[in-house]
Amino acid sequence: MARKIGRREFFRRSAGAGLTLALGRTLSASSSAGRKAPVVGVGIGSDNEQAAVKAVQLLGGMKKFVTKKAKVALLPNVQSRHPGSYTKPEVLRAVIKMCKKAGAREINCLSWQSMKQWEDTGLKAVIDAEGVGLKLFEKDEALFRPVAVPGGVALKEARVLAALYDHDLFINMPITKDHAGNKFTGTMKNLMGLNSPVNNRTFHHPNWQTDPEAVAHLEQSIVDLNKALKPALNVVDATEIIVTNGPFGPGQLFRPGKVVAGTDRVAIDAYCASLWGLDPKDIVQIKKGAEQGLGQIDLAKVDLREENI
Amino acid sequence: MSRVRPKVRRSPALSVLLALALAWGAAAAPRSEGPLRAYLPGDTAVPGWAMDGAPQEFEGEDLYIYIDGGAEIYEEYGFARVIVQDYKNTAGKSVSLEIFEMEAPAAAFGMFTFKRSGRGRSLELGGGSELESYYLNFWKGRFLVTLTGFDESEGTVVGLLSIGRAVAAKLPGGGEAPGLIAALPAEGLRPGSVKYLKGVLGLNNVYPFYAARGLAFKEAVRGIYDRGETLILLDYGSVEARRAAWLELRAEIQRSERFEPAKNYLADAFAFEDGKGQYVAFGEAGARLAVGIHSTLEWALATVARVR
Repeated sequence: MARKIGRREFFRRSAGAGLTLALGRTLSASSSAGRKAPVVGVGIGSDNEQAAVKAVQLLGGMKKFVTKKAKVALLPNVQSRHPGSYTKPEVLRAVIKMCKKAGAREINCLSWQSMKQWEDTGLKAVIDAEGVGLKLFEKDEALFRPVAVPGGVALKEARVLAALYDHDLFINMPITKDHAGNKFTGTMKNLMGLNSPVNNRTFHHPNWQTDPEAVAHLEQSIVDLNKALKPALNVVDATEIIVTNGPFGPGQLFRPGKVVAGTDRVAIDAYCASLWGLDPKDIVQIKKGAEQGLGQIDLAKVDLREENI
Repeated sequence: MSRVRPKVRRSPALSVLLALALAWGAAAAPRSEGPLRAYLPGDTAVPGWAMDGAPQEFEGEDLYIYIDGGAEIYEEYGFARVIVQDYKNTAGKSVSLEIFEMEAPAAAFGMFTFKRSGRGRSLELGGGSELESYYLNFWKGRFLVTLTGFDESEGTVVGLLSIGRAVAAKLPGGGEAPGLIAALPAEGLRPGSVKYLKGVLGLNNVYPFYAARGLAFKEAVRGIYDRGETLILLDYGSVEARRAAWLELRAEIQRSERFEPAKNYLADAFAFEDGKGQYVAFGEAGARLAVGIHSTLEWALATVARVR
């Protein structure tokens, strides 16, 4: 069992390893100015596992993100077992294998979702077969730690699963899909899976009335959460996805047959939204994320590397 | 795998008191089965299919536990409780049954219209139904029923239909749609396109205005017609409320960078080009605001004119 690390030590380790699970980092719109074009890798093909491998290879391989002996947390989406609504087991398997090959000393999937969801989605079987950890947590506030949101507009403090900070880095692994609330879910929305359910509820105004201001507050809260948490890598399942009745389904299935990887969440989400005809500028969280310096919304300014397996 | 619980420090006396209180509570109020269990088909109700595991039940805001991140739309329509039960057949196929009890038949009808794509097959089931490749939705009374298979095989689809019919036979209530539906002109209306809306979340899914004001309607309906024209009727309950809302909405749209006033039209309706190649025309009709949407200005205006 690895010992817990403190925030100070965590910062030291992160800085030393070039890791990016950063707290307290100020991200402003101007911080993205002058950056190199972000790279987004897209593996295309009917073999989901190989598509995931290809996507990461196009970024330079997993060793770029996972250092030797790193303790890695993974965050797949297990929200529902309906087809096209959860991260495919093959994508998880690919990421686990790549992390192992890169020299990770320990790999854990973190979640406050139920074991039944992990079993029903087939993700538990992959975890067992690969011999990695699955750490399920009660939805108890004592298991979450307060985290300041640098530059937070709607959210000044997140409450993040404390166990995340026992890891050196984490890989965000959403499935991109429809969402009744904001028409889209991807890398940014998936981080709500690390935030406490109680804090997530503050993303909704009291006596939620679904008025436009309340929807805007929700979107801003998601963007703010992304200022407090930065995955080392995002690997997005866009193989088979629901494009209606999201995020839970059942809904109409669309099969782009793609896995998308990168570090720029705005660029990845902009690309994924465009897969089923959405304009990224119409997705409030993507637009706000770009405006507030989280990444590049203009796909013409993204180094997009698509390749068949 | 490990499930982690927080450490809680309690005094021994407090622990005893808590244990007594819990024991008393358990004896005084044993956990009762929810009212929706009566509508679940039993093990012998559908030949070849049996219950798989115990049902799960969620009530009120606990829906967020079951549909984490997606409960808002149910709440917008008016949600009461849901029961979820899995079924399995002898060939190992699975079907998941969800019975949502909504606050009113209009809410069940609305959620049904929200969830259907309009591209599936309509069946004689409840107040209305749609079978899509691997799932079936229908409504009856204040209940919305969703059955999900996990593949598209014939055996699974037969299971969806058989279990669905068994549930429909047990559910009370009829199938009368809200009166506002009848306000959509019938000629040329694509039947599966009708969506009944109760709030902005639903509206955003049929046409996002990105407006902050003027959209506090009581109820609304959307229909799509033969030429691809969309008609949305927003009902504000009174002429005064509609008038005030329209003033707000119009000001929002005029301020918006997204909408440009449409040029060269003579009708007495307001029309805008939405930056997505669509014209959006507005017309006032009593307590309702009519919105016509089409790729041509002519048809956007004509759509509004049909209800004015």
